[in-house]
Amino acid sequence: MTVLLDVLKELRGMFLADAKLSCAILGFVALIALLIHDGLDPTIAGFALLAGCLTILAVVTAIESRHLVRKN
Amino acid sequence: MMLPAIVTWSVAAPAVGAAFAASLVEVVEAFTIVLAVSALRGWRPAVSGAAAALVLLGAIVLLLGSVLDRVPLHWLQLVIGVLLLLFGMGWLRKAILRAAGALPLHDENAAFAAERAALAEAAKRRDTSLDWIAAMAAFKAVLLEGLEVIFIVIAVGAGRGLLGAAALGALAACVAVLAVGAVIHRPLSRVPENTLKFGVGVMLSAFGVFWTGEGLGVGWPGQDLMLFVFVALFLAAGIGMSALLRRPAREPAR
Repeated sequence: MTVLLDVLKELRGMFLADAKLSCAILGFVALIALLIHDGLDPTIAGFALLAGCLTILAVVTAIESRHLVRKN
Repeated sequence: MMLPAIVTWSVAAPAVGAAFAASLVEVVEAFTIVLAVSALRGWRPAVSGAAAALVLLGAIVLLLGSVLDRVPLHWLQLVIGVLLLLFGMGWLRKAILRAAGALPLHDENAAFAAERAALAEAAKRRDTSLDWIAAMAAFKAVLLEGLEVIFIVIAVGAGRGLLGAAALGALAACVAVLAVGAVIHRPLSRVPENTLKFGVGVMLSAFGVFWTGEGLGVGWPGQDLMLFVFVALFLAAGIGMSALLRRPAREPAR
């Protein structure tokens, strides 16, 4: 039973270790999907996805770094 | 005439490289725990626990393989792409924070000592079934790290029929760690784990954007070659963020 719990914890840690990052990625992918559904050119949407992911990475990492600096 | 081969190689090389590097990190971590178990209770529980986990991992691979065959390709690309973004950007974020000094680096020697101490503590608490406790520790380590290896192999290989190539990359990492580990009999603390995680995070994030886009119907200009552009951009972003976040700590105290 503890092995199963550890496996579930590991899977959660793999994909949802940082709630802010996970929510931002899922929300942004959903937004891009919606925009493509509403008629946005898929190539433009693709590059918006790339730009959004790079921005999310930068912002979330900066926030986490600031948080860690304050904590220490 | 050479273009198809170049395009295939352009997506196969990052897939095999990502599978090898990511698996190297995971196998080193599993090896440290199996080594701690063997140092405390001998090779028998360590090997039996690890072997049982490998059998279970094999069963999971067979099960997943039959499921993946039935999923439509664009759904597979979308789901794997999003999972890659979550996993890869998570690794990259942590690697940036470690490179910037905001988080401590992972230390295999410390992990080895901690595992030995935990097993010794468990041995004090329970006089019976010590071999069982040791075997379970090895089993859990190999199972949990192996699950990550399976995900990475599927994630980088499934979208373009490169599962075999990605699995070969992972297998090469296992062989390399076991060969070096068998010779030195110590935790592989000199493996530049954060650098590997940084590189793997970059590659998995690039694959994540690529597959997510393809799953949503994006036709990337240059097709597979666009992966190299994504890798370059995530690498530049990662290095830039590490430098940016490191800078305040270097300011002289007034």
